[in-house]
Amino acid sequence: MAARLLYCAAAVSALAVLAILAFLVYFSLPLFQGDQLAALFSWHWRPLQNEFGILPMIAASLALAVSSMLVAYPLALGVCCFAHGLGPDWAARPLLVAVRLMSSVPTVVYGLVAAFSLVPLIRGASSGSGLCWLAALLTLAVLALPTIVLLLDNQFQRLESEIRLTAAALGLTRVQEMLQLTLPLSSRGLVMAAILGFGRALGDTLVPLMLAGNAPQPPLSLLDPMRTLTAHIALVVATDSQSAAYNSLFACGLILFLLTVLVNLGLRRIRTGATAHG
Amino acid sequence: MKAAIRVEKLSVSFAGKHVIRHLSLEIASGGPTFLVGRSGSGKTTLLRALNRLNECLPGCATSGQVELRLGEQWVDAYAATTNVENLRRRVGMVFQSPNVLPLSILRNIEMPLKVALSLPADEAEARAEQALREVHLWDEVKDRLSQAASTLSGGQQQRLCLARTLALRPQILLLDEPTASLDFKAAQRIEDLLLELKSRYTLLVVSHSLGQARRIAESLFVLHDGERIEALSKDVFQDRDALFSVMDELI
Amino acid sequence: MADRQEKLSVAFAWLSALLVPALLAMVTGFLLRRGLPSLQVALWFGDTPPLAALLHGAPVFDGIWPACLGTLYLVALVALMAVPLGVASGIFLAEYAGGRTKLAFSFCIELLAGIPSILMGLFGFALILFLRRSFAPEANTCLLLSAFCLTLLVLPYLISSTRLAIESLPDALRLTGASLGLSHWQLIRRILLPASAPGIFSGVILAIGRAAEDTAVILMTGVVANAGTPGSLTAKYEALPFHIYYLAAEYQSPAELAQAFATALVLLALTGLLLLAARRLQAGLEIK
Repeated sequence: MAARLLYCAAAVSALAVLAILAFLVYFSLPLFQGDQLAALFSWHWRPLQNEFGILPMIAASLALAVSSMLVAYPLALGVCCFAHGLGPDWAARPLLVAVRLMSSVPTVVYGLVAAFSLVPLIRGASSGSGLCWLAALLTLAVLALPTIVLLLDNQFQRLESEIRLTAAALGLTRVQEMLQLTLPLSSRGLVMAAILGFGRALGDTLVPLMLAGNAPQPPLSLLDPMRTLTAHIALVVATDSQSAAYNSLFACGLILFLLTVLVNLGLRRIRTGATAHG
Repeated sequence: MKAAIRVEKLSVSFAGKHVIRHLSLEIASGGPTFLVGRSGSGKTTLLRALNRLNECLPGCATSGQVELRLGEQWVDAYAATTNVENLRRRVGMVFQSPNVLPLSILRNIEMPLKVALSLPADEAEARAEQALREVHLWDEVKDRLSQAASTLSGGQQQRLCLARTLALRPQILLLDEPTASLDFKAAQRIEDLLLELKSRYTLLVVSHSLGQARRIAESLFVLHDGERIEALSKDVFQDRDALFSVMDELI
Repeated sequence: MADRQEKLSVAFAWLSALLVPALLAMVTGFLLRRGLPSLQVALWFGDTPPLAALLHGAPVFDGIWPACLGTLYLVALVALMAVPLGVASGIFLAEYAGGRTKLAFSFCIELLAGIPSILMGLFGFALILFLRRSFAPEANTCLLLSAFCLTLLVLPYLISSTRLAIESLPDALRLTGASLGLSHWQLIRRILLPASAPGIFSGVILAIGRAAEDTAVILMTGVVANAGTPGSLTAKYEALPFHIYYLAAEYQSPAELAQAFATALVLLALTGLLLLAARRLQAGLEIK
């Protein structure tokens, strides 16, 4: 009896993801009629002229996620190495506490602070409004940093408990242990953290919505405004456009969903590979 | 001597790796019967096969037959009609390290009575007191029954675990190195208890202390690598020199 | 050569390690400087007397009280839906599921965990479109819909924290319970759940924090700027994170902007406290 109830709960939870997919597909179906699909994959979003291309948004999403990873990942790695041997031992705990606190800061708060500190700075240094790729990139890097750090920290901790004594007995310093043993041995964890961070950056809505300027154009310069898939969805829903815009909305959702699946499959592949070898 | 446990061609494996293979033995009622053997020889697995506890661990597969005399009839432990919870209540077990539950002293005994036997509260309390008296723990804990069981000393905890098992009124008691984690004095008390209990229960004790076996065992089995089991007659294991030669073989 | 590499690595590690607390200090410092002056009673209740608002439900016009209430109701509804479902699913995965069922369910739930929150919002939005086209033409986005979508968002956290809390219990506990003749469900109910309660609770608290701070989902499912105190499950409502977002984009005066910063402080304090509570529970767990 209890087991059956629990089974139902788990089945509902597992089916939720399929329900989301089903709705996205159902509402994107009109796009597969006629030449709408081709129109979707164009570089021009001009609803008034009946042009609903979403390529700029796809490009912007990928560019923003990759670029913010390029900033956040090395920093996160540095923080983790610092906490596991490259820095003094007393500093490790407070540093990780700070990282945890950072992870608890709401996204909208980061957006607010960046909008009134970082954006004016960029505005002062360049000619535009300051709402651009660069502003979103830097803020998103800060947002994704704790996710990566906490995952890597977990990884390093487990590994260190195995090799700490051996490494010390071999006469390695903590720095040598980290650079020669821990880092090379946790290559899978390093890749997983990068993919997870990428997924986190790709899925964020509020930072690009508040900071990237939202102009639907290909991302060519760091100082140009851009519009990501996530921000696009939020904007179209907010500005009650006509139904053709709605259709493209669900196409964006579907693409985002598929990207998420890819990220997940990537993670899964690496993880199962790890257990097969370990 | 009447038999209480019959094991026929028992094999137990974990994740495809055999721990016990084609083992047969018969254990007399009363006892204590001791089971000794090298570490890794499968003593604990054999013990846990009797109350089907191996099934709680992942990757376990059991074949063969285990029959237990409960009351006046023989019960096939692995038959489809056998209720496993009921079986475990009637075949009690005490573990190597005292495994008190994270509850109060009294609740440790009462909880299984109320939950597994659905006894009313007053009856559960009466049985708890009786069991605590049986293991001579009552006077030590009667004023602190609502304190956490983890505040007891190791020896007291082990006696509490014994009381918890006795309260379920089992007919067979399986003890898995019950004194291994205790100091000398606490171990002594458990040994005395076993001698008191042997008239009422069938006792099967896994031990790695040959000295202990010599002191209190009624019969003794030596298990080799999970495949071969050898019964030692009482005059062999009571004889110090003969026992030492067995010990050499074990090491 | 190796020596130089070492020195460079250490230098870079120091640099990033210094940057993190500096960033955190900058963010909180900036918020405090801009928001602290507005952190007064008027922030919550505007011109309405606080007691009148609290006891008699007097309408509050330029305070964040309605947004606080909205977030509170939202979080309560999410907890009501997500906690039983998530904990039950976690128990099932930890204790009952095996083989293919376990693999398939875990895969779906992992996938759900990775889905961007905006898609949960889009799902809710699509649900309303669907209802309007089919059997409820007057359906509209509302408090209940937001709570439903947020439930989907926090469900995977709850499931995995429950599952982890149960699976990391020592085997001895399981064996003891079984040896006393408890059935599987009795073992779970009487022994495993009490022992894993701190882990499960800390997961619940973190999930609540996540539901309280999310903006993307509610943005698409019924939150508005001036709804006042939420009247029913099917009404529009205000919420703290959306209030911040809205003021940041549409502020009319420096005072409104200052209110945004003060609200951000309130929200930050809330999520910070929740994190602290969760960590305390976990720390207690590790000592045991």
